[in-house]
Amino acid sequence: MRERTNEQWLADLRGPNPDEALADLYDQLVRGLRAGLRSYGGGVDANAEDFAQEALIKITGNLGSFRGESRFTTWAQKIAMNVALTELKRRRWRDVSLQDLFARREAGDRGPADTQLTPEQLALQNTVLHELRRMVDEELTDRQREAVVAVLLEGMPISEVARRMGTNQNALYKLLHDARKKLKRRMEAAGLSPQEVLAVFDEG
Amino acid sequence: MLKRDDVVKLVRVVAETRDIEISCDECFERLDIFTEMELSGVKASAAMPLVGDHLDKCADCRSEFEALLSASRST
Repeated sequence: MRERTNEQWLADLRGPNPDEALADLYDQLVRGLRAGLRSYGGGVDANAEDFAQEALIKITGNLGSFRGESRFTTWAQKIAMNVALTELKRRRWRDVSLQDLFARREAGDRGPADTQLTPEQLALQNTVLHELRRMVDEELTDRQREAVVAVLLEGMPISEVARRMGTNQNALYKLLHDARKKLKRRMEAAGLSPQEVLAVFDEG
Repeated sequence: MLKRDDVVKLVRVVAETRDIEISCDECFERLDIFTEMELSGVKASAAMPLVGDHLDKCADCRSEFEALLSASRST
């Protein structure tokens, strides 16, 4: 593959004969996807070409948004990674609904207290737990509570939770940020410091 | 309903919350620049703290950064 400057990439891809540049970019994206997604298992290798194809369409359709602040190939690879990871997450979580996630959580182990705790420690933990539950109930909207549980407590990807809640990743991050800020302020107002809570739960 | 096992997780993310955080779109916008900075040996999160902070908090964006970093190292 011949080396190109950012300007050459743009000129070649926008020019009358973009085929060579498209083929070079495609090869580079496939190699990058295989290297970058190695930890996601063997299935990715077979899909790298499909991801690269889909990314090429996005890249060529968005050349105007490339501002030249990085190498063109890094910018293009970023888009290819986003395409690939969005799809890989979608597949991995395909069979999990939020309802299932919440139901499993409610049915699951409710986290009995450590039996090594003294009655005083247990009482203190229960007080803090009760207080935090009240804050979550009073401060957060239903949607914020759902997002907090699915993303922050159960570790589901933001993009997948967003899809199920009829929003997008960006908006859901903001919703979670607002939720975290509300809880932080409420804890501060109540004089409940994170360090103290962690110490009570022996994680300080 | 918050469970006993959730407390540590929740309180940690609340403690790390800042008034100003960038969104996933804003992080993505700068991810190529951040990655190249990291590759060049500069501590990118010191130069672009809001991106670094977002990557600490958002597993989705962090996985894209890590994959892009590996890809850039190999090509």
